This record gives sequence, C-alpha cells and structure tokens, in this order.
Amino acid sequence: MDRPIAPGHFSGPLNLQGGGAFTVTVGGIAVQFSGLSEAILSAARERYSPFLSDEPPLHTAALFDGPEHYLDMAEDGYMRMEERDFPEGRIMVSHDFAAYWPAGASAGMLRVNGAYPFSKILTAMENYLRWCVAGLALERGGFVLHSAGLVLEGKAYVFFGHSGAGKSTATALSLEGRGALTLSDDLVLVLREGNRFLAAATPFQGTMAQRVKTKGLYPLAGIFHLRQSPEVGTLPLARAAAVGMLLSCCPFVADPMRRSEYLLPIVEDLCRALPVRELLFRKDPSFWDVVLDREDSP
Amino acid sequence: MRKETPPKRNPDVSWRTIEGQAVLIHNRLGEIQVLNDLGTYIWEHLELGPEVLARNIAQEHEVSVPDAQRDVEEFMKALRGSGALADGTD
Repeated sequence: MDRPIAPGHFSGPLNLQGGGAFTVTVGGIAVQFSGLSEAILSAARERYSPFLSDEPPLHTAALFDGPEHYLDMAEDGYMRMEERDFPEGRIMVSHDFAAYWPAGASAGMLRVNGAYPFSKILTAMENYLRWCVAGLALERGGFVLHSAGLVLEGKAYVFFGHSGAGKSTATALSLEGRGALTLSDDLVLVLREGNRFLAAATPFQGTMAQRVKTKGLYPLAGIFHLRQSPEVGTLPLARAAAVGMLLSCCPFVADPMRRSEYLLPIVEDLCRALPVRELLFRKDPSFWDVVLDREDSP
Repeated sequence: MRKETPPKRNPDVSWRTIEGQAVLIHNRLGEIQVLNDLGTYIWEHLELGPEVLARNIAQEHEVSVPDAQRDVEEFMKALRGSGALADGTD
C-alpha cells in the first residue's frame, strides 16, 4: 500500500545520515548534497567525479533517514515516480524515497532508509539531482532533453528521440567516425543565454562513462529528431510538430502547470531560434554530412 | 447531424497554437498531440458545435456539408478517443 506523503513528512525530528557533503555542477547549476555518511559520500564522489566542484550551490539537498517503503511497485514493473504539488512546496516520491522542495527555497530534503544498500541510496540521490537540475534549469530558461549531445568544432549538435531512436548509436558513430566530443548519449542540458541556446553534459547515469563526457557549455548549432532510415537526409518539421516532439522528450518536469506555463514557451523559443529538423540516419557516420550541410548558426 | 451540446475541452489538457497548429499537452497522461490546420480550427472553435463547424468548413474549403460533417464527426471521435474532450461531450 502506498504511504501517503505530504510536507509534514519532512518536519519533526529527522536524522541526517551523516556529516558529509559534496557539490555537483551541471552546466553552471551547482547542487550540493549534505547529511551524507562517509560511505555514501565516498561512493557518490566517485560516481560524480568529473562533475564535482567547489562552486557555491544554488540548491542544497540534505539526506535524512526515511522509512523502508513509500510507493508500491507498478503492475507493469515500471518505476513509479510521482510529483505532487502542495501550497508549501513540491514533493517527489517513488518506491524507496521521498523528496521535498519547499516553494521558493534553495534547499530541499531527501528521505531514504539509511539501512538500504548504497545502490538504492545513490539511486535516490540521482533522482533528486535530475529533478532538481530540471527544476533549476526551467527557472533559467532551460530544460533537460532526452538526447545525444555531440560537439564538433566547438559547436553542439543535439539528436533527440525516445528510447530506441538511436541516440547511443549516433553517439558511438560520431566518436569513431568523426572524432566528436560527447556531452551525453542520453540526457543533455539545454540552457538559454540571451537569444541563443547552449548545451551541456549531464552527470546522470546512462550507458556512457562519466569520464568520456565533455564538460562546459557549447553553443547549440543544430537540433535533430532521430529517425532511422536506409536513406540519409533531413526533413523540415513544422514548428508545432517540433515543439510537440521536443516536449515529449523533456523528462523530470511532471507538474502540468510547469510543463505548460514554463517549459512550453522555452521549447517554443528554442524552435524559433533554431529550426528543428528530422534526421534520417543509418548506422554509419554519413549523417554528419547532412547535419553540417544544414547547420544553422547559433 | 444531431442537435447537441457543444463539446468541451478536457480541463486536464493545456494547449497553445503555434503557426496555425495546436499543440495539446495531456497533463495527466504526459502525452502531446499536434493538430493539423483543420483540426486546429475545430479545436479552437469547439463552442460553435459540430453543425456550425461543419457548415463553416464546407464554406471555407469548398466541400459538401455532408462531407464536412463526416470530417468533423471523425475528428471529434478522435479527440474523444485521445481524452482531449471532457467526458460526456461530443
């Protein structure tokens, strides 16, 4: 049975899991985790090693002990992750953890059972980080996009699509065939800077090793929806279709109001600044020829 | 075509028209729907009701009223199927 969770779950006497802390910076967005046990601190530092920083955090998340169970497993076996809005703030809850981000605050709380294996605690922290970075990015005119991000000659090219679209394939082909630098093969942070958009690597776990990812913010020069095809080429996309496709590939912003009031206008601005095209690609690096041919200057 | 109450949009659907095409966000389902020009016209003018919509479309697109009625009915059915309309409306 699901445990009902409200902001009250995060008040009262709560126990921090330790005194350790570290900061991760994602595209200039610094998030600190505190209240960590020595063991979790060590494991987390190793996991996020290339993204560790000493920057002053925009957001701090304290790790507290929590109960063993929050949500039941979904019948279809998929992970349940629910976001709930309260006047006091937002709550994200899953099977093993619950997180609370008070409205307008720069600090949040994460509750997960301290007796859990490291992997479960790290997973809870990872999900908090995704939720938090997506939220902070949204406040800064950006979003996290399910996409492969590649850098060629100092410019970022983003290839988006759902699982199975070919993000990892496009990444592997670009590394081998073009010597491109990689931001990610799964989740890229897109941020607005004035009239242009930038792309950055994310430290989120995927199939790609953290050390392979290229840090820094790069001007976004092309954005393509992936479609596997025997032919190689690009097709124009109507702006409404592009907006719809992009929105469906923006995870971690579950709240309807924030999706329609904040995320939608940002995505629309991106499509206005940089026309999105459909990329027909097959399993060889030749798609880069049409990508570079269609390049739109940032 | 039956005389009916004009269909209502599902309040759980946020939408915006971009370059003449409506983008519908099904908030609870997390799904996105993009409508074509004709679908966008119908969506934006739902309150006119199917009959008036069909007449307007017939006039604008130079098709017969029965053809336009069929198109409107099919589109309403699709909207209902996707959950874009409030329950109990056509």
